[in-house]
Amino acid sequence: MQVRFWGTRGSLPVAAKAATVRDKVATALVAADGRRFADEAEARVYLETELDFAAAHTYGGATSCVEIDVGEGAFIVCDMGSGLREFGLDSLGRCAGGHTREWHFFLSHLHWDHIMGFPFFVPAFVPGSKIVIHAGHADAETALRRQQEEISFPVPFDWLKADIEFRTLVPGQDYAIGAVTVSLIEQHHSHLSYGYRFRDAAAKVAVYSTDSEHKIDRMEGEADVVAFFGGADLVVCDTMYSLADSVSMKEDWGHSSNIVAVDLCHEAAAKRLALFHHEPTYSDADIERMHRESIRYEELTRGAAPLEVLCAYDGLVVEI
Amino acid sequence: MSGGTLNWRIDEREGARIAAPAGRVDESTATAFTERLIGEAGAARTMLVLDLSGIAYMSSRGLRALTLAQREATRSGSTIVLARPNETMREILAISRYDMIFKVADTIEDALAG
Ligand SMILES: [Zn+2]
Ligand SMILES: [Zn+2]
Repeated sequence: MQVRFWGTRGSLPVAAKAATVRDKVATALVAADGRRFADEAEARVYLETELDFAAAHTYGGATSCVEIDVGEGAFIVCDMGSGLREFGLDSLGRCAGGHTREWHFFLSHLHWDHIMGFPFFVPAFVPGSKIVIHAGHADAETALRRQQEEISFPVPFDWLKADIEFRTLVPGQDYAIGAVTVSLIEQHHSHLSYGYRFRDAAAKVAVYSTDSEHKIDRMEGEADVVAFFGGADLVVCDTMYSLADSVSMKEDWGHSSNIVAVDLCHEAAAKRLALFHHEPTYSDADIERMHRESIRYEELTRGAAPLEVLCAYDGLVVEI
Repeated sequence: MSGGTLNWRIDEREGARIAAPAGRVDESTATAFTERLIGEAGAARTMLVLDLSGIAYMSSRGLRALTLAQREATRSGSTIVLARPNETMREILAISRYDMIFKVADTIEDALAG
């Protein structure tokens, strides 16, 4: 199984500005200290191995879109954030190489940052495409049609040429969908959200759990979440806020923290955690600091087996 | 996920209640810790000093219990001050940013001084 991150930012797409790139280049030049590089490949090795991630890269700014690639069958995609545009084009390239023209979506919920990519999803405009949109919400079709009404977008939903089908899924059941078994869990979020657990034929498990608040007055209920994450090879978790923010100023905003994500994954004996749905006001340096602190917290609180803490960025591919 | 308990030592000093639990606050002890801490917060008249010197470490469940206890304290007109965290606890308070929503004192005297 491969998990590809096409969009990792929360709430609102963001982009690096001119000054951001300038400052990164300046940092890299100063750190190079006059060294010469034979070619760009050699310079890239230097950037990859000797500079911090945030100094030489960016976490990216597209909103939630994560592909689960099990190497066979239809495309599997969690959420339709602005990262979906690029995935759509990339997947068409793979179709040209023989991939089946079928896309299975799994929607965490219908907030704008999780559906805004769909009007720009090129395969939906192509006759012969088959698109199945799975959601825990019965009103998923309403949400997608509404964002393509004339007041919001020039191309109405009905003009899309793909064969598009909506399926409402129910928590607590196992669904065999293409090459994976999928189950879902209801999460605490405005208008609800759902987490998904995907298991492939090789019994590899990836969990996608975003826009999920773990309420402090309902900690007993977290046993369900722990069971849902149980033994997963990768858990993608909403870690938008610090724990302090999530229980004070930003309580009831529907999001969680790196600290709670590590605790839940520890309890669930999950193998890897990907920090996800990054706060849009965070700079690359802020996100990298949050990543380092999460790794440190994992070390400090580790009971038994270690949990590897990754930080998702647009373009990250995780091999499971 | 409940069952485990911590040992608590309770003191009253200069009108403040000083509570000193000892052990680890994790999934197995968090429920009992939460209930006891909320009780102590309700029992404190002006200030509850939570002496953390006996706490090895605390997961988010313990930290979130601090917030629930602070709410109880606020209802009864008192406040919670954290005192004497070990190095691990100090790091956890910083990483969780709890050091920005709680006053953290190096000594009991500093805590009592407000
Ligand atoms: Zn979101
Ligand atoms: Zn949301």
